[in-house]
Amino acid sequence: MAPTWEQVVRDHSARVYRLAYRLSGNQQDAEDLTQETFVRVFRSLADFSPGTFEGWLHRITTNLFLDMVRRRQRIRFDALPEDTERLPGTSPSPEQVYTDTHLDPQVQAALDALSPEFRVAVVLCDIEGLTYEEIAATLGIKLGTVRSRIHRGRVQLREALAHLAPRRGAGAEAVTP
Amino acid sequence: MSIPESHLAQEAIAALVDGELSGGAAGRAARHLAGCLQCRLAVSAQREAKAALQAPEDVAVPGDLMSRLRAIPFTAEMPSAGPPGSLGVGGAGLTGTGPRGAFSFPLAAPAAPASRPGQARWLRRSMTGALAGIGVGVAVLAVSLPSGDLPADDSPARVANAIRHTVPDDERTDIVPPVVRTVTVGSTASLPPGGTP
Repeated sequence: MAPTWEQVVRDHSARVYRLAYRLSGNQQDAEDLTQETFVRVFRSLADFSPGTFEGWLHRITTNLFLDMVRRRQRIRFDALPEDTERLPGTSPSPEQVYTDTHLDPQVQAALDALSPEFRVAVVLCDIEGLTYEEIAATLGIKLGTVRSRIHRGRVQLREALAHLAPRRGAGAEAVTP
Repeated sequence: MSIPESHLAQEAIAALVDGELSGGAAGRAARHLAGCLQCRLAVSAQREAKAALQAPEDVAVPGDLMSRLRAIPFTAEMPSAGPPGSLGVGGAGLTGTGPRGAFSFPLAAPAAPASRPGQARWLRRSMTGALAGIGVGVAVLAVSLPSGDLPADDSPARVANAIRHTVPDDERTDIVPPVVRTVTVGSTASLPPGGTP
């Protein structure tokens, strides 16, 4: 039996929202991305096929995010900031991140420091647990590109984490056995 | 890329950490790591970054966002580039005319689909009560299917195509549930809830 819309929302909203938040780094964008993802899902329910649903959601959310980033880069470039208050540079405070999501604000800040392409690859791999092949399919890039983005993204992430919390680098092994 | 060829490639280091190296390559990497401090450090740096992201995190979805998501079948605007189009009933079906062509939807209860018979059963049941409502709902959904581009592969355009060229029964079944909810909740409260026998 086909799931009801209520079930679709209940079963998948937290995952989509987490992905959206990890990618965008703030609640407003995360909510917008989540809502738009589900609107697309609703419009395309005919494509629903059990088993591929999560991958489909990932693909929609990440592509919407990359679209958003590109759109804003264009807006900034054209100096037509119609949405000024939400352009990058107004990222929420660590306290706000934690209040919003209960996600580790330092990790979020480090993710925000990555370029969007690296961020997407690392988030899909290390937070969403996708295989390289799934990431390649999700982003429409080659396996070698996935490997290299993940590697370089993690190098940058670690530097950003060390910069944010110098103690963390030394204690990382102990904290996460 | 200052690492000389004798060391593991950066891509291989990431792949090793993620268990994405093939057996042979993983064996060669392990042999190299045994004798190379520099690559061992690179591997552990990758592991640290990965571990930092892997705290088990349960995100709380804001309550008002949940409400908005639940309400999407009632509120979602279907973008359309041109005039909204027109609807008409003719013969056994309902016809919608939009800027991108005409759409036709059979209103008769679908014959049992060969592959997934269970899925359509409850639909047929609801259709006896809300036949016209469903038809209009499907039409509204499909007529206004977007002309905007979706970056993802499974774009609504593809769905629109599928719908335009006579909807297969089981696909239509998948589209309908939220629409049925829209229609039945609003207008005919006496209908049995669509789902369970």
